[in-house]
Amino acid sequence: MAELNDISNEFIRGEIDEFIERPDERERIINLFAGSKDNMQAIAAALIDGDNELVDQLTREALDSGIEALEVMDFGLIAGMAIVGVKFRQNFIFVPEVLACARAMKAGMAHIEPILSASGIEPIGKVIMGTVKGDLHDIGKNLCIMMLRGAGFEVIDLGVDTSADRFIEAVEEHSAPLLGMSALLTTTMPNMGKTIEAFIDADLRDNVKIMVGGAPVTQEFADDMGADGYGKDAMACVALAKQLMCVAQ
Amino acid sequence: MQRIDPAEYQKRLARLSEILNGIAQHAAEMTTARCPYKDRHDCCTAKFGCRNQRRGEGKLLMCAGDDKLDYRSAWESDG
Repeated sequence: MAELNDISNEFIRGEIDEFIERPDERERIINLFAGSKDNMQAIAAALIDGDNELVDQLTREALDSGIEALEVMDFGLIAGMAIVGVKFRQNFIFVPEVLACARAMKAGMAHIEPILSASGIEPIGKVIMGTVKGDLHDIGKNLCIMMLRGAGFEVIDLGVDTSADRFIEAVEEHSAPLLGMSALLTTTMPNMGKTIEAFIDADLRDNVKIMVGGAPVTQEFADDMGADGYGKDAMACVALAKQLMCVAQ
Repeated sequence: MQRIDPAEYQKRLARLSEILNGIAQHAAEMTTARCPYKDRHDCCTAKFGCRNQRRGEGKLLMCAGDDKLDYRSAWESDG
């Protein structure tokens, strides 16, 4: 059995020592990192720190040096995310920190995507995501995006305050079969319906499946406005996206 | 360019999804008790106005909310 001191990276050792309390988790994580290369530990450390630029650089360097993409995922990106998950579960960090780590994960995965593509592994679907016009709340949408990417979707994030025209433009530009809209305010929620109407007016409604979500949104409201589906949270969003794309779950 | 075995990649996606599901589940529980825009230093990361925001020493605004009330009523709609 490996010990904490078998891990070369001081930051990782500190993270495990300070934040990983459950003995089974501690043992599993120590064993994982103790058997990993220094540069994999450095990737994991940068990801835990939410440093997307460093993850970008280290992942590129690791792949250029001939390290297998799956090794980078196992011992760098996913291993780092595992520690992030434990820290979040135990309330040492909160949603903003988790999203910073997810951004770092995406920066690393960006270097693995061409290898996936060359291996014939395509994303399970392309999704346009955005918060509707007039609404600046993005945490729910960002959690959905993190989950969708983790499930193998390619996501184009339009950010907040997204007009119907911008949604239409993005769906056309990326030939995306799936669109997700989020609203957190009762005052901006009707803009989801207006966006769906804009797709009908542009004669594009049949080209795209539309899912909606956000705190004030309900299944009934989604049905009334003519959405294809409603997700009450990030997990439901992924399940719905897979269902709309006819992906086995 | 190196190649990846699709079956092996699927295993990694499954592991990652497992981690992210745990995160999403905890996030759903947490948002009923703590504003999701509040970071671990109690700084507000929102890009919109909220009456719980207070100017602190750093670049970010501090959150003065006590999380006992439904914090969502403090959020402004017009940023």
